[in-house]
Amino acid sequence: MKGKANYRKRDYQAFLYIMPWLIGFAILQLYPFISSFIFSFADYSIGAKPNFIGVGNYKKLFTQDKEFWNSLKVTVLFALYTVPGKLIMALAVAMFLNRDIKGINLIRTLYYIPSLFGGSVAVALLWRLMFLDNGVMNAMLTALHLPNVQFIGDTRYALKTICALEIWQFGSSMVMFLAALKQVPKSLYEAAQIDGAGKARMFFSITLPQISPIIFFNLLNQMIQALQNFTSASVITEGGPLKATYVLGLKLYKEGFSYFKMGYASAISWVVFTVIVAFTLLIFGSSKFWVHYGDE
Amino acid sequence: MKKRLFAAMMAMAMTASLLTGCGGGSSNGNQAASQTGGETDAAKKDETKGTASSDEEITLRMSWWGGDERNEATLQVIEQFEAAHPNVTIEAEYGGNDGYHDKLATQLASGTAPDIVQVDPEIFPTYVATGDYFLDYKDYGIDLSNFEEAYIGIPINGNYDGKQLGLPTGISGAGIMVNKDLADAIGLDFSKTYSWEDLITMGKKVREYDDSMYLLCANKEYIVNLVVFNYAKQLIGATVFDPETKTLNMTEDQLKEIFGYVKRLYDEEVVPPASYQAAYSGDNLQSDTNWIGGKYVAALTYISTIDVMVAANPEAEYVMSELPILDGASEAGWASNTPQVFAITSTCEHPEMAAEFMDYFFNDDQALAALGATRSVPPTEKARKICTENGSLTQVTMEGANIAAAMGGTPNDKISSSEESKTILFDSVETIGYGASSVEDVTKDAISLLSGLGQ
Repeated sequence: MKGKANYRKRDYQAFLYIMPWLIGFAILQLYPFISSFIFSFADYSIGAKPNFIGVGNYKKLFTQDKEFWNSLKVTVLFALYTVPGKLIMALAVAMFLNRDIKGINLIRTLYYIPSLFGGSVAVALLWRLMFLDNGVMNAMLTALHLPNVQFIGDTRYALKTICALEIWQFGSSMVMFLAALKQVPKSLYEAAQIDGAGKARMFFSITLPQISPIIFFNLLNQMIQALQNFTSASVITEGGPLKATYVLGLKLYKEGFSYFKMGYASAISWVVFTVIVAFTLLIFGSSKFWVHYGDE
Repeated sequence: MKKRLFAAMMAMAMTASLLTGCGGGSSNGNQAASQTGGETDAAKKDETKGTASSDEEITLRMSWWGGDERNEATLQVIEQFEAAHPNVTIEAEYGGNDGYHDKLATQLASGTAPDIVQVDPEIFPTYVATGDYFLDYKDYGIDLSNFEEAYIGIPINGNYDGKQLGLPTGISGAGIMVNKDLADAIGLDFSKTYSWEDLITMGKKVREYDDSMYLLCANKEYIVNLVVFNYAKQLIGATVFDPETKTLNMTEDQLKEIFGYVKRLYDEEVVPPASYQAAYSGDNLQSDTNWIGGKYVAALTYISTIDVMVAANPEAEYVMSELPILDGASEAGWASNTPQVFAITSTCEHPEMAAEFMDYFFNDDQALAALGATRSVPPTEKARKICTENGSLTQVTMEGANIAAAMGGTPNDKISSSEESKTILFDSVETIGYGASSVEDVTKDAISLLSGLGQ
């Protein structure tokens, strides 16, 4: 009996330890999550009382709002450009850094630094300055005797410019790939070498299957992050030109905080959420064909 | 046991700190220095007035946006006031304009807004319409005698239904800022009243003179605010929306004419290409490399940004000119108004002290001298006199204010001033500039979207 009572007490204590997180979660995540769902069915402006209109916001979004379909397309394109780009970049750099040379730890740190800035406004501003008509990038093109490019003003390049920022911040995926690469047993490569396998064959038949769980994890994480992009589109291009970078995250912000249409913005946030869930399920569904766990 | 108790207490403390962290009661970051050295003239003056008699510790929060110069001047006034009122601490919350009103909107709605807030006069009506967020200055005995009654009596300058909910910080207006040396060299005369058509002719002359130059430094935002709205008001003789019926005063044909003119500005190269302007959108004309390099003859400008534009290319000599007038127009289009208003929020726990500070801010000689022209041309004659004497008001800025005031006209109505209406027009001008759609199609879309705003 005594043991049982102690166990309960410890249980409560543990609960107390995680209480700060639970309270934070309830106030800052769960409450907005539920209330945004409720407000998505209302015509609701900041400061006014919500007027419930059923699925009116969703109907308007799908049938009348011309911007919505463009924003959805831009958001998906942004994710499709940046996620594979970032993963390939991260894996390539991780493989380059997966060796024992002098000063390797310093080099690894240097490559990780861009990720520390995360979605920082300062980095986005810097990016904007670099890609302005008179910025560093065009100066480099001029030095190479190449024609200048309007990275921000040309609809063909604006989205790619903000994608480049996202891809450049590959550090966190790279660190995980690096850890995964170190876990691949050396004996597999030795055996393959004895059998006469080349570098490419070893990469596709040993490295990729061995690190596939980490590829899966990174793919999922980066996809969720990319579909919620806001900072770079807002700071670098302000959604322009001609809405070429008007991602759903930015549209949601404009509707909510510039036009004060919180109900409509909530509906957009739930559409973004649904898109994220759809992509997540798709990736999960496909994982059984290409993700290999050690115990399989 | 002791360890457990300690751990439990720590957990409670962390929870409490998390909760207070969400409360938003205290300001962070940009705290104003709360102490000043020595006794100022203001302190001496106040002792004679006897207003610093209360011993109650009072903390007020004040927010504004602005550049370094404005921030320093405002902090100086806060310090002067605190020196005269040792029991008062004013916490300053300041930063750039980006996101300022988004934050303020949520603060107002959640009841956590600062006690004294600077607000864009074109956004102020939206706040006034959505809630009872601001106090009437008249209820707190603030001295308004230095203001001209007609100036503070209109909604755009803070007066709503007889209540003085905001006080104007300055006189703003629009104009064309001319690089006089360049205009003279090309033979352009901005000193006489001219039409929108004349502007196009001048643009062509500039291109003939030097094809790396343009007549006007502008972007889609300036084209909407200064060309589209003014042309529209001159054309229809009224504001774009009827404030009473909340319906459009403008017909599709009229908007087509205005957008047709905008297309000519781009096609006939009066302004640089839209793809070039995109890199300098919003309030970024001063960073346009062509402006810095002296490749424009003139710039569309607000009085409050004249000094910034001069600083970007200080070599040239500038004069201010009025905006074009449509032949036969009964309405000038632009009215001078304030660049910001200051308001006291209804959640303020010490409204009397907040009003006393505002009284000091707008009327005290020392405060006015410190503030100078950091919020455009000051709103009262008393302040203008002080600023002219101490040299903080430049000749070109004063010229701009005089021209804007002389032009007269009706300010934009509440619906056309809204962010949503402006965004519709920004997008339309951008589409025309890029040539992505015909003027007819852009007009149809804009009319359909604008019509939905008043409902």
